[in-house]
Amino acid sequence: MIFLLLGNFILMAFDAKEINSGQRVVRVWTQVAADFVQSPVTSVSSAASNYFQSIANLRTAQTENDVLKQRIQELEVEIKQTAELTAENERLKSLLNLKEQSKYKILPAKIIGRDPSIWFDSSIINRGSLDGVKLNMPVVTDGGLVGRVTAVSPLTAQVDLISRDKSGLGAVIGEIGTSNALGVVSGTSKKEILEMRYVPGSVEVKVGEAIYTTGQDGIYPEGLKVGEIVEVRSGSATTPHQIYIRPSAGLNSMQEVGVLLYESPPRPEFEQKLPNAESKKK
Amino acid sequence: MEQVKLTIALVIAILLQWTLRNVAEPLAFIDFPLIIIVYAALQRNAIRAIIFGTIAGIAVDALSGGLLGANGFSKTLIAYAVSEVARRVYLDNLLLRIPVIAGACLLDDLIYYGTHRLLGQEPSAQVLEIIAYTLIGTTIAGTVVYLMMERFVAESPMRRKRDMFPQRRQTRRRNPIRLSK
Repeated sequence: MIFLLLGNFILMAFDAKEINSGQRVVRVWTQVAADFVQSPVTSVSSAASNYFQSIANLRTAQTENDVLKQRIQELEVEIKQTAELTAENERLKSLLNLKEQSKYKILPAKIIGRDPSIWFDSSIINRGSLDGVKLNMPVVTDGGLVGRVTAVSPLTAQVDLISRDKSGLGAVIGEIGTSNALGVVSGTSKKEILEMRYVPGSVEVKVGEAIYTTGQDGIYPEGLKVGEIVEVRSGSATTPHQIYIRPSAGLNSMQEVGVLLYESPPRPEFEQKLPNAESKKK
Repeated sequence: MEQVKLTIALVIAILLQWTLRNVAEPLAFIDFPLIIIVYAALQRNAIRAIIFGTIAGIAVDALSGGLLGANGFSKTLIAYAVSEVARRVYLDNLLLRIPVIAGACLLDDLIYYGTHRLLGQEPSAQVLEIIAYTLIGTTIAGTVVYLMMERFVAESPMRRKRDMFPQRRQTRRRNPIRLSK
């Protein structure tokens, strides 16, 4: 028993030390094995829930039908207006030479598993190293940033959500270049609320403002939407603001995500040699 | 045969733990591998129980965002503690097993949380809420599972009772009246 306990403790110690860089072989192979169970269960359960959902929807269908008929008439008018605006927009875009393409390639993925331990919130996606997924690649939805890849097997990958306490990311209030309210976003004990720290108290911050990544953390590219401010506890000239954010990606309800095929630039050599300052503190 | 049945039960428990959170979030509050590990420990086979604890713990850790080995560590300890208690106290009654599974669940959560705190990896969750819900969920599910296990897995209660309380050899008394004659 002592041997087993010691083995577990050594595993934990190594995992805690290298939580941001390496990945364990046990994780990789367990993910491969689990994929054969998780994928079918997810498909069957989503099919079953869709079926029952459709039955439940029939009840409200009649009233919805009347409302929708009225809405169609309104939309027809809106479509005409939108078509005119789109044409105008196209003309302006061509004038300004704007690129329509996304800056990074996105690999669509489906969430096939959630963290089996209730203490954490990682997710398993059905894309792995065979699809080109690598460690630390950012994961997004159409709403905004979801997290980053922390373990990759050939068929699947594990994604740590931004709501995790340890997932600090560099962020700015408003768009970078127009604002100097820089800070670090990390998780709180509440899943649906993030906290932004180190924003100087002298900077004016309003509820409802959007938060974007800065790209300075060496993991996420700049310009990804993180969320919106829901509460500000104002700081002073010497103390920073305490800012609470609601993530713009629905972290609890997402089923499909996209992996940004973005690799962060390599850190300078002197930075790689630095000891892990955070673990030294503890 | 009982060994095979218990191993199958453990594999099923791990698979359920891997998949059920994706089906419904509240099902994650039930710790299926712990239920089977405590059951194995209650059979008074400490070695089997701690091996079950390590394997199931690492299997759950491997798909979790937590530290690899944290569940293995806590479940190995729980398995040993429960098997030691079961060796000293007669716990084959279902009513007595309910507080055992509840206590094991509470201790498991505390060790898991404690090891993460110790290594600077605090889980981003409301600790008391999770411990309370896990305690309720695992205790209720454990009681139901034990009822099923008693029916399909366990050996006969009479045999277990004989193992726990071996009969004393009884010497035959001589009849004092006959002796006097």
